[in-house]
Amino acid sequence: MTGAMDKNRYLPLFLVTPALLVVVGLFMYPLGYSAISSFQDKSGAWTFANFEKAFDLYSLDIGFTVLIVVLSTVAIGVLACATGGYLTLGENPRAVAVLKWLYRWPLFIPFIVAGQLMRTFLAKNGMLNNILVSIGLLEPLQATSLLDWRGIVITFVWKQTPFVALLVAGAMASLDRSTIEAARNLGAGRVRILIQIIIPQVRQTLLVGLILSFVTMMSVLSVPLMINAETPTMMTVDMAFRINSYGDYGVANALGFISYLMAGSVAWFYLSQGVRKGERP
Amino acid sequence: MPGESLEIRDLVVGYGSDAPVLNGLSVNVQPGEIVALLGASGCGKTTLLRALAGFARVRSGQILVSGRDTIDLAPDKRNMAMVFQSYALWPHMTAAQNIAYGLKIRGIRQAEVNRRVEAVLAMVKLEGLGGRPVDNLSGGQRQRVALGRALAVDPQILLLDEPMSNLDARVRFEVRHEIKALQKKLRITTILVTHDREEAMTLADRILILEGGQVVQAGTPEEVYDQPNSPFVASFMGADNVMPVELRPEEGAIRVLGTDCIEETVLPLGDFAGDRPANPAEDGGGSFIVHFRSDAATIGNGDAPPQDTLTLRGRVTQCSYPGGTYRHAIDVGGQRLIVDDPQHYAVGDVVGIRLPKASLYFFPVNAS
Repeated sequence: MTGAMDKNRYLPLFLVTPALLVVVGLFMYPLGYSAISSFQDKSGAWTFANFEKAFDLYSLDIGFTVLIVVLSTVAIGVLACATGGYLTLGENPRAVAVLKWLYRWPLFIPFIVAGQLMRTFLAKNGMLNNILVSIGLLEPLQATSLLDWRGIVITFVWKQTPFVALLVAGAMASLDRSTIEAARNLGAGRVRILIQIIIPQVRQTLLVGLILSFVTMMSVLSVPLMINAETPTMMTVDMAFRINSYGDYGVANALGFISYLMAGSVAWFYLSQGVRKGERP
Repeated sequence: MPGESLEIRDLVVGYGSDAPVLNGLSVNVQPGEIVALLGASGCGKTTLLRALAGFARVRSGQILVSGRDTIDLAPDKRNMAMVFQSYALWPHMTAAQNIAYGLKIRGIRQAEVNRRVEAVLAMVKLEGLGGRPVDNLSGGQRQRVALGRALAVDPQILLLDEPMSNLDARVRFEVRHEIKALQKKLRITTILVTHDREEAMTLADRILILEGGQVVQAGTPEEVYDQPNSPFVASFMGADNVMPVELRPEEGAIRVLGTDCIEETVLPLGDFAGDRPANPAEDGGGSFIVHFRSDAATIGNGDAPPQDTLTLRGRVTQCSYPGGTYRHAIDVGGQRLIVDDPQHYAVGDVVGIRLPKASLYFFPVNAS
């Protein structure tokens, strides 16, 4: 009897072991290893040299990365709320149906394809400028390439807005509809209802979506490589460069650790918000 | 300030391409009057309220507020304040912020908003609770916030959508009287939607009974209670015991034909509970159903029945004590009737149900 109970006690541990091994072996170990080795030189001695070098060479890129990702996150937030808001409050059923069908498409397109797509769309003689010239909004000589920081932001926003909009629209759809009607009944217009009634109620979902997007954008290599590989560029490009050109894992790991701190800081911000309000994060 | 009049003319409302929920409904509400729309689920009462507020698309008809048609106005332009069944309070705001919202939309300056919010909080008996998030209030307090929020904007018409259905019985009783007192004080024309008969009777000046999107009877609480014009209204107003009977007209009287469970009785005409049969000869006698309330009947066991009383015989199948009297379920020829009596009768007892003439509502079978 006792033997059977002992067996039962170890069964859950046995069942969880494969998943645990995968997490530890493929995630925790590489992460810990790269974090530790960012504080070591090639001989294994403890040092801050990798960080000093990273800041000396790439402080402009670190700032550029923060700026791009923050700007994109804000734009994604605004567009996701507008999309979700129209899906919730739109009064033209046909327009709502078309938007509902269309807005999710970029979700299914990988970043690298999005980057390639934007190269042809945003180039000096790309599709966007051609359209603007053909409808007379732009003279051919005024056409400039948008394949710089603007291109990265546009690609990130295009790719990530559907993801956040999907989460936010779902949360908006599950709100008690009468809270929206009550505001309408008291004289509020639709924009006011979106800003004052709906968004505050889906704030937690919006924050989760934006943080996940922030972290995703921090880690994308293909888009800055394809759209803007010049200086300044994003930290992921620098990391790839340090490894591919110099085999310099120390500085690459230091840059990775700095990225991790940035991503970690937004996660900390989110968690602290949840804890302060006494809510489940 | 006296309220506005409300006139609904030939209103047709439906969802999508389905058959209309309201089909040609017409109602007049006098300024300052409180009218209850009473009906079972799905009868169209909430649809009517939503059409008034602008949330349900009207196919045709008119909604006139003091003579002005509001049918083409957006919901936010109608100045009809609605209290929702779920209260629909905004959980990210305090009680005071909920109440202040409509005032801020109207561009009223902050000092005046604060003054009015305090006045409303006092009016709905929530002094000192304005700073609380609405999630930290009890059901009754939330209901008061919802009412205060609607009243704060000084609406032309107040729409109440089953406002007390989520409250427990004791709080409901209290809030019911408070709403009545407030409405009488403010004289706001009010439409109340409910499926609770007692709520409608207590609050309303006039009751409209809805069935299948049509008003089947309208009148004061006394009129619809004492003189239901159809079996549906009789059942809805509590006379929900039903027994089929055969009537034969006689000179100045009607004869209720005897069966295994009905004692043959001659009842003089006049003084029946409803207006039927004023003269069953006009209906030519025949098959009728009789409705009566459980508290209007008594149980007799062997003693001679009083005069002008119809007696049914049956067997007690269930007995409970809801308080004051015993409630008996009695099987009478396959019909299950509920009768309240101060005396307890055991399950299996064969008893006589005494129905005084004045408690009987007769309807010809084709009326049901």
